[in-house]
Amino acid sequence: MTVTDPVPGAHSAVGVSASELADAPVNAGPKRHQVVDLLGPFVVFIVFIGVWYALAYGIDGNFAPNGKPLLIPAPHQTFSGVGSVFGKIWSSTQISFWTALLGLAIAIVLGVGLAIAMSQARWVERALYPYLVALQAVPILAMIPLIIAISGANFRSRVITTVLISIFPIVSNTLFGLLSAERNQHDLFTLNSATRWTRLSKLQLPAAMPAMFTGFRISAGLSVIGAVVGDFFFAKGNPGLGRRINDYFLNNQPSRMTTCAIIAALLGILFFVTFGWISNIAVGHWHESSRKDAI
Amino acid sequence: MLGGMMLSTGSAESRLAGLPAPGVGLPALTFDRVGMTFPDGTEALQDISFDVKPGEFVTVVGPSGCGKSTLLRIASDLTPNTNGTCSIDRSSIGYVFQDATLLQWRTVRSNIELLAELHGHGAAARKQLSDEAIDLVGLRGHESKYPKQLSGGMKMRASLARSLVLKPKVFLFDEPFGALDEITRERLNDELLRLFQIERFAALFITHSIYEAVFLSTRVLVMSARPGKIIAEFKVPFAYPRDHDLRFDPEFTKLCGEVSHALREAHA
Repeated sequence: MTVTDPVPGAHSAVGVSASELADAPVNAGPKRHQVVDLLGPFVVFIVFIGVWYALAYGIDGNFAPNGKPLLIPAPHQTFSGVGSVFGKIWSSTQISFWTALLGLAIAIVLGVGLAIAMSQARWVERALYPYLVALQAVPILAMIPLIIAISGANFRSRVITTVLISIFPIVSNTLFGLLSAERNQHDLFTLNSATRWTRLSKLQLPAAMPAMFTGFRISAGLSVIGAVVGDFFFAKGNPGLGRRINDYFLNNQPSRMTTCAIIAALLGILFFVTFGWISNIAVGHWHESSRKDAI
Repeated sequence: MLGGMMLSTGSAESRLAGLPAPGVGLPALTFDRVGMTFPDGTEALQDISFDVKPGEFVTVVGPSGCGKSTLLRIASDLTPNTNGTCSIDRSSIGYVFQDATLLQWRTVRSNIELLAELHGHGAAARKQLSDEAIDLVGLRGHESKYPKQLSGGMKMRASLARSLVLKPKVFLFDEPFGALDEITRERLNDELLRLFQIERFAALFITHSIYEAVFLSTRVLVMSARPGKIIAEFKVPFAYPRDHDLRFDPEFTKLCGEVSHALREAHA
């Protein structure tokens, strides 16, 4: 280490020394143990299957004398008898997928829009926020008549249900993110006479991105729930997974019903992981707490 | 003993160093009986009068909570003062915050270009301006890094470069090096003086550190506890460029001692 006198002129003689670089934070810690990473989910899966078997064989009268499940199938029975209705289930999966995706897209546009409006004026926030909290608290069941009155019992109503179920985390997380820019950063923009639009587009929205994506991910899972639940009540049009679950339940076909439930869960995981992936691409390179391995 | 202490050798030695003598020309920043009382009745500042001329580096030291930072917020119009007047060319202020205040989602270069961008400069002009600033602060080679990849010292360099881009006539420093370790702080002090000699701005610097104040400044002002008042003023006689080793000069130590005594008085 040398201590150099500062030299007046263009290139600094002092520059950036090794010691200064040495304390630079490094992104990734020591690489996590890969075996542990894989072992964890595997163990949980085994436990899950074990509990499932215990339940299936622990319930009195769960199986007919010929071994067919009456209430819940054992894990190895789950996909038996599904082959003949595969086409139906597949088309219902597609219906539910599009219901969830469309509902989520509308929820994102509406939710981000509402959050931006609330971030721009305190009175807008005060006016709207209590009702959004209330909307979140009211059971969707209680809104069924209202939705039928407005829209009917069709595909559109399922999308509306999805929006209602998934919008709140988007609004609250986006609003939190928009208000998260530091005071000094705001001062910097004030000092340089930034317009409201400049402040929003160059400061508040970028600062909000990590929180927004957290909201999107939560809502992505909820949107699949919304699509399935909407199906139960709005029967017109092509049936989605919710209708299939309902029908197979009523027809005493627990294997098929369980298959549909698993597909719904996989849809939820697909949505969640996709948004995690988009989030990593969008903010992973700069956000402090982002974890590359998080899904 | 404390109040009007002035050592008068500063201007002559500065001329030897080839700088415009501090204290010549119209002030870049003037406080005239400025006072500040917050809405809750707290009196933060009282009867503050001083000015900073181009080529002058004025530092304010004082106990924490005495309103030093409020002084800068008033100068930059972030907070309007309640008494007196503060005159400054508001179109040409460089403000360096306590923390680096970088935008985490922008690269070093993009952060440094921010102010030029906010003031509507085109891409080519921004690149040229930021290139100059990047060289000035010694961040060449780090332009495409993100703030989370930088050390505290490098973040501060980026913050300095961002303020330098628009070549402001007045620089306001709000304890910019307070959070850094001593070695990094001293190095950045050296760097800052080098920039000061190149750019010849008027500087108003806030700090807790007496050594930093004396090392950097042409004048040191001592502020009292709340309500903040200027209770002592010291001219710093050492010529620029100031060598790193000035910190071990007996004269330097003596002056630091005097400022320290004045500060104790301010606390009492």
